[in-house]
Amino acid sequence: MSTAPALVATQASIRQTRIHLLELARGHPRVILAGSLVLLLFLIALLAPFISPHDPIAVNADNAYLPPLSPSHLLGTDELGRDLFSRVLWGARVSLPVAFVAVAVGLVAGGVIGLISGYFGGVFDLLLMRLIDALLAFPALILAIAIVAALGPDLRNAMIAIGIVAIPVYARLVRALVLQLKQMEFIAATRSLGATPTSIILRHLIPNLLNPVIVQVSLSAGFAILAEATLSFLGLGAQVPTPDWGQMINTGATFLANDPWLAIVPGAAISVTVFSFNLLGDSLRDALDPRLRS
Amino acid sequence: MTTYVLRRLVLMVPVAFLVTIGVFMLIHLTPGDPALILLGEDRSPQAIAAIHQQLGLDKPLYVQYLIWLGHIVHGDLGRSITTHQPVTTAIGERLPATLELGAVALIWSLLVAIPLGTIAAVRRGSLADHLATGLAVGGVSIPNFFIGIVLIFFLSVTLRLFPFGGYVPFNQDPFENLRHVILPAIALGTAGAAINMRFTRSSMIEVLNQDYIRTARAKGAPWRRVVFIHALKNALIPVVTIVGLQIGGIIEGAVVTETVFTWPGVGRLAVESIFNRDYTVVQGIVLLAAFSYLIANLLVDLVYGWLDPRISFT
Amino acid sequence: MRWVAVAVAGLVLVAACGPSGGTSQSGGTPKAGGTATIALESELRTLDPLDSSLLVEREVFYNMYDSLFTIDPSLKITPGLVKSWDVSDPLNLKFTLQSGVKYQDGTAFNAQSVKDNIQRYLTASTSRRKSDLASVSSVEVVDDTHVIFHLKKPDATLLATLVDRAGMMLSMAAVQKGGQNFSLAPVGAGSGPFEFVEWQRNDHLTLKKNPNYWKPGLPYLDGVTYRAIPDVNAILAALKTGDIDIARTIAPKDVAGIKSDSSFIYRDTPAIGFNGFELNTGAPPFNDPAKRQAVALATDRYEILKNINFNIGVVGYGPIPPSSWAFDSTEKIYDHADAAKAKATATGFTFTYKTTSDPINQQLAALLQSELAAAGITMNIQTEEFATYVQECANHQFQACNVNWSGRLDPDGNTYAWWHTKGDFNDSLYSNAQVDAWLEDARVSTDQNKRKQDYLNAQKQIVADAPYVFTVFGVSAQISSNKIHGFTLYPDLMIRMAAVWKG
Repeated sequence: MSTAPALVATQASIRQTRIHLLELARGHPRVILAGSLVLLLFLIALLAPFISPHDPIAVNADNAYLPPLSPSHLLGTDELGRDLFSRVLWGARVSLPVAFVAVAVGLVAGGVIGLISGYFGGVFDLLLMRLIDALLAFPALILAIAIVAALGPDLRNAMIAIGIVAIPVYARLVRALVLQLKQMEFIAATRSLGATPTSIILRHLIPNLLNPVIVQVSLSAGFAILAEATLSFLGLGAQVPTPDWGQMINTGATFLANDPWLAIVPGAAISVTVFSFNLLGDSLRDALDPRLRS
Repeated sequence: MTTYVLRRLVLMVPVAFLVTIGVFMLIHLTPGDPALILLGEDRSPQAIAAIHQQLGLDKPLYVQYLIWLGHIVHGDLGRSITTHQPVTTAIGERLPATLELGAVALIWSLLVAIPLGTIAAVRRGSLADHLATGLAVGGVSIPNFFIGIVLIFFLSVTLRLFPFGGYVPFNQDPFENLRHVILPAIALGTAGAAINMRFTRSSMIEVLNQDYIRTARAKGAPWRRVVFIHALKNALIPVVTIVGLQIGGIIEGAVVTETVFTWPGVGRLAVESIFNRDYTVVQGIVLLAAFSYLIANLLVDLVYGWLDPRISFT
Repeated sequence: MRWVAVAVAGLVLVAACGPSGGTSQSGGTPKAGGTATIALESELRTLDPLDSSLLVEREVFYNMYDSLFTIDPSLKITPGLVKSWDVSDPLNLKFTLQSGVKYQDGTAFNAQSVKDNIQRYLTASTSRRKSDLASVSSVEVVDDTHVIFHLKKPDATLLATLVDRAGMMLSMAAVQKGGQNFSLAPVGAGSGPFEFVEWQRNDHLTLKKNPNYWKPGLPYLDGVTYRAIPDVNAILAALKTGDIDIARTIAPKDVAGIKSDSSFIYRDTPAIGFNGFELNTGAPPFNDPAKRQAVALATDRYEILKNINFNIGVVGYGPIPPSSWAFDSTEKIYDHADAAKAKATATGFTFTYKTTSDPINQQLAALLQSELAAAGITMNIQTEEFATYVQECANHQFQACNVNWSGRLDPDGNTYAWWHTKGDFNDSLYSNAQVDAWLEDARVSTDQNKRKQDYLNAQKQIVADAPYVFTVFGVSAQISSNKIHGFTLYPDLMIRMAAVWKG
């Protein structure tokens, strides 16, 4: 669980003229590639019940440890004879919602803090930013582990923990963007025309925050999936028999010597998923950032 | 400059205070009882009560907090609930292993990042650039515990090139020490390598577009010399920043890697202590991690200003 | 955190196995010299028997300290620091001590030392031995080699208790010298075959040969090093890379491979603990005995033994394992899973089963879930973080809880605490006046046949009432490189190194 994607994303600069993402994608094949990958993952998650050849939690102990490419089991079976391919497909249904709820928690809480802090400044800013500093100073993974231990290990609590860990990223990003925007002429002009703070925030600030925030959301989704896998790997995520990738690696690692695919298959699934989100965020940022455009 | 540093230090006080409250409440409100963990199969109501009394867990929570706060203000982190060692000793015993792992991981990450990042920037848009950028995204996408498991499986269990986990202190056997640190350092440093490479690349691109580089080129300075002497030096400034922050976050970063490789570091101690409800040790480690994060941030800002005269401290 | 469940407190699902134990006579004549490295499944917390509660600690203690009594591989009580004993008066036990024994720090072991040690265990504020010695009123020094233990009430289990930590004798001079750090560095404190050198926590613990050991010719090895490796897969890998020589636990799935590998020696013997899960009789749904019996009937022990334990060990029917003299070989009322009979007893109910994230426990949970589903019983699995789970099970906040027991030498240790109304481990809130009476009688009775009858009666009742569903009896195993010889295998999981040598 690294804080790095966040640091990378804050480089994204604001542009006063908004760029429509679809428009932008046209000139950037990497964005299209990454976008399609992410879309594919969502389709898999959505269609898992229809495209899975087997029930992902049906135990068939006599059929355990079949190697990949066995008849009717494309990726083989696990220690309880469950179909690995089906479990991996269903795993997307676990990971993607977790990622999005966690990111939403971080985005909403962090966004509100950042907006208030940046727009109103003063005491608000001073106090809220100390809170964010404290949250940042708290080692993120240890914080997440402690939160899950406190609330009880399951997916909902893993989402909450990861969301809390993501708050400072959004708070700082939004605050920095708002501070920049506030100095721009059009905002000052609107304000002098007597617009209320609410309408300035809703009409002028938030729309201008969208692009960099979307980049960050994409990167944090990758981070959240990694974080969830890490928590599950430590036994603090999904409950059995939920087909969760991190959990599958945790159990699979036990069988590494004889049946390595039990850990390698879900490991690859996590890596591909996180890669897709990171690639999307990364390519969007490049596309939005004029300095880095090639 | 002095006022700036003072101001930053003063601002750290409320942050540290919030961290003490946060960690104390979080770990104490977590269900689970250290007495049950300590007693294991020897539990009895009398023994549990005796331990609660001994550890002061029978007092109201705010009293326990104030007692602890009073002690840490005097530099006393208390004793570990599980081993009775002073918390400073418990952490101190583990710190060298974590620092070594972090240092080797950092060296590995820079050895990969700086050359690849520079090449990618200089040959922007080339196949090499695309490959390097792809690798960078890949590097932060693979869970480090998974890298660890795969390395163990191939290099340690199957090929037996490296020992499986464990740690040998450097002063005991330098060669064995290095053999043990390599795999966990690779697992830990790969994400860092990817991030540092991205930073090197983007920073290098920016520097190469600067006027003075163009001028140097226009004057006919050899391209290699321009890149490696003039540009790289300046391009590494933001890399220093991110590396500084990585050093500040060493304890946290190592948590999972230390667990996978049974590396006796502070990160693993943190996880074990959370699981064993060793309140005092968890609190001590979080304080240490928070402190090193805050100091690293301050130092990074200072170094940044020193390297880049355009920034002034006010 | 896969090791935690294994690590804490010896609530171990030890790799289970089939009987094949005894002494290993391989390798010819013993020779002195060399060192051996042994894997421990978790880090130790203390080196003082006074406040010890982990299985791994006991394992180290047995090689550093001597106890008043010892056991032989058939669990019979044999002489230790006590040479002979007279227990004809159940309230005043007369012990004759070995003479000429010295602690490693040079002070003499004598009757006064026994008195001081017992006194320390009974009175120190951090002592965890108080309940072990609850029946002891005082120790009287008769002369240098004779003591009398005066008891408050007869205690048939006391000699077995004195095999373990409560009977380990330490040099009081060493204890005092160690002060607050004694539990971290007990220099010269024992009279055992090996003495403490250094403990580098989370890495290794080193012991060296006690050159003045009172048993002539022993030990053979120059030293022993313990390494905490909290993961069974890592233990196996370390065995294969030669980083360790001896281990006690590997994953059941790896046993076949090790057995067929000539560079290793694998041995096992039935252990003394039991495995399974407890059902809370104090709350719905399991306040209804029929529902408990339905779960016990629907549980397929052979499938668990085969798929989870890889057929290492034997299926378990009751609390007292085959290694014990009180084992009931006729007790088989839940032998084969019978979904139809289970359905007829009770069906259509739902309960939640609590377990930890240990992969083996997780596999077991998933398997049980599917077995019970066949009888129309819905089992929800709730994985908990270890400390939370321990607390909730201890506080009766569960419907079903997966808790194993490492076992005790005397059958009392496998029954009283768990199913006596006032037992310390009676998480299930089980209460049966007859069972209480049998267990109490077996504690004070000195006639072994009478005790055996008590335990047979109690077992039958407990198994029928099913406050706990027994699944598998495990084994006590030793896995070593083929250069290690001279092992004697004991059912209590402890690896005793005095007579071990390296070829």
